[in-house]
Amino acid sequence: MGIEKLKTVLKNKNRSLTLKTPIISASGTYGYSDEYEDFIDLNCFGAISTKGITLEKRLGNDGDRIFEVKGGMINRIGLENVGIEKFIETKLPILRKKKIDFLLNIAGSTSQDYEKLALIAQKNNIEAIEVNVSCPNVKSGCLEFGLNPNSLYDLTSKIRKNYDGFLIVKLSPNTSDIKALATAVEEAGADCISAINTLRGLGIKLDWVGKKFIKKSVQGGLSGACIKPVALYMVNQIKEAVKIPIIAMGGIEKLQDLFEFISVGADAFQIGTANFINPSICSNLAKELNEFMIKNEIKDFEELKEVIKND
Amino acid sequence: MKDYKGKIKSVKKISIDAYELLIQSDLENAISGQFISILCPNTTLRRPFSIAGFDKETKTLKILIKLKGDGTNYLKTLKENDEINFLAPLGNGFKIENKKSLLIGAGIGIAPMLFLKDELKNKNIENYLISGFKAQEEMIEGSDKTVIGGSVLDNLDEIIKEKNIEILYSCGPHIVLKLVSQLAKKHNIEAQVAMEKTMACSIGVCRGCIIKINKQGKIENASVCKDGPVFYGDEVIWE
Ligand SMILES: Cc1cc2nc3c(=O)[nH]c(=O)nc-3n(C[C@H](O)[C@H](O)[C@H](O)COP(=O)(O)OP(=O)(O)OC[C@H]3O[C@@H](n4cnc5c(N)ncnc54)[C@H](O)[C@@H]3O)c2cc1C
Ligand SMILES: Cc1cc2nc3c(=O)[nH]c(=O)nc-3n(C[C@H](O)[C@H](O)[C@H](O)COP(=O)(O)O)c2cc1C
Repeated sequence: MGIEKLKTVLKNKNRSLTLKTPIISASGTYGYSDEYEDFIDLNCFGAISTKGITLEKRLGNDGDRIFEVKGGMINRIGLENVGIEKFIETKLPILRKKKIDFLLNIAGSTSQDYEKLALIAQKNNIEAIEVNVSCPNVKSGCLEFGLNPNSLYDLTSKIRKNYDGFLIVKLSPNTSDIKALATAVEEAGADCISAINTLRGLGIKLDWVGKKFIKKSVQGGLSGACIKPVALYMVNQIKEAVKIPIIAMGGIEKLQDLFEFISVGADAFQIGTANFINPSICSNLAKELNEFMIKNEIKDFEELKEVIKND
Repeated sequence: MKDYKGKIKSVKKISIDAYELLIQSDLENAISGQFISILCPNTTLRRPFSIAGFDKETKTLKILIKLKGDGTNYLKTLKENDEINFLAPLGNGFKIENKKSLLIGAGIGIAPMLFLKDELKNKNIENYLISGFKAQEEMIEGSDKTVIGGSVLDNLDEIIKEKNIEILYSCGPHIVLKLVSQLAKKHNIEAQVAMEKTMACSIGVCRGCIIKINKQGKIENASVCKDGPVFYGDEVIWE
């Protein structure tokens, strides 16, 4: 299938990252490599952002991890992952062999963790990393970096020193000043911003059993269609603050959502929760976007962005 | 594993709050203990249901649903020839052994037991299905013995001895599976149990439906959707 039209180049003054299409699967919703192969057309696929990877293997949180809400879900996976060593050993070869483009999503609880991970990425010629500084699901660690512009600037600078590839920093929406965070990241030398991570949320269910209420509650990160307005707002704010490209996410489910995010400054997209509903959605959206552009004689993705922004 | 378009053949009320759905699709193979995950237009996530029967010739699968919330209440409104989308076949099913089998279904947990019973029968393996329900009106048919009101567990010691049972298979609430596993241990026989946990992706990537298991002395995470839903009773670390 000719998807030449969808070729996407994320670039700033120093570096660029070229993707087959602007559709990327979001971290934590797609596994590490080819887990979704049965469902997608790899030709239509921009990239996978891997499950968040830490230095050491993590078993994640105990207890219930998923809570469904109207239009979305709350998760508290707690960054369960195989650890960087095993990733390099067992998952990276699959990605390379099958020529699947990917962003290595990393997370840590200290600045040293991130620096080491960046170095490992550098040594293994990993083309792009996405730094999760905004995970609400682990007790210590990344959230603090993600919410303070000074520490975020420091952290990003340190990662930048160790890593020469395409550096994406993923921002948290759980802040009152997203512009300050975006600016810090850009000044520290990041090549791109992705946003948003999940919002903090609390799901509660009370069942009246016998003569008392049985309470179930899950506190974690809210994702899915219900967070789209927040994501649009945040991306719009980030766009006002920085010049580097933005990968937008938060509740994307359909073609119209892509247009809306472009209108506030998105240069590419990630799809998270919607993969759970329709496992083929990433390649389907790419195909739909391609068809839309052919039908309406839009030359390429750059032109589409122009058309939307100028209207 | 694939996503399938299924055509509803029938929706039948089988108890006060449970329905049987027959669904025809291109699905070619399924074993008991495996499940499907149905897209419901009024919910965010898909809904998992055990396969309760499968007719290879007509490619028709059976599920039994107990009404809970939005998802199941949507499914019961489906009519003949309506289309649904589902992922299948999901997870690891029961590993049938040529041993005298006792099947224990608690409540809607009877669903995969009925399919397992079909399979055992086809293989000429001696089996006995006992199921338990809270009240008469909740009863679902198909067992060799049905317990209403009391606990299905009360009868098991006797049956195991009487019938020289060599293996237990079970599905039902967490506590029942835990007790069945303890019972198996006491009698020094194997138990295989089909677990449930709220899940998101249903194919093993999101790590949402994790339980702890003991693999050769090491505690590990296992996903109910992909590593399970069927586990050996003695490998599960019971909460
Ligand atoms: C592997 C597996 C097999 C199952 N087989 C059957 C079956 O054969 N027949 C049957 O009636 N039910 C079965 N269940 C339970 C069934 O999936 C839930 O009852 C159903 O999802 C409830 O959806 P709802 O929208 O009606 O209820 P709600 O209570 O509104 O659901 C809210 C959320 O909780 C989840 N949820 C609620 N109860 C359960 C549960 N017991 N297990 C897992 N997630 C749950 C739902 O999926 C949803 O995300 C099975 C569950 C699993 C995991
Ligand atoms: C189950 C689950 C696990 C996630 N794990 C991670 C993770 O490990 N690292 C990360 O940066 N984001 C993680 N996220 C956040 C998503 O990548 C994404 O930012 C968020 O879900 C918003 O997009 P959506 O509304 O399309 O899902 C996770 C989200 C979900 C639902």
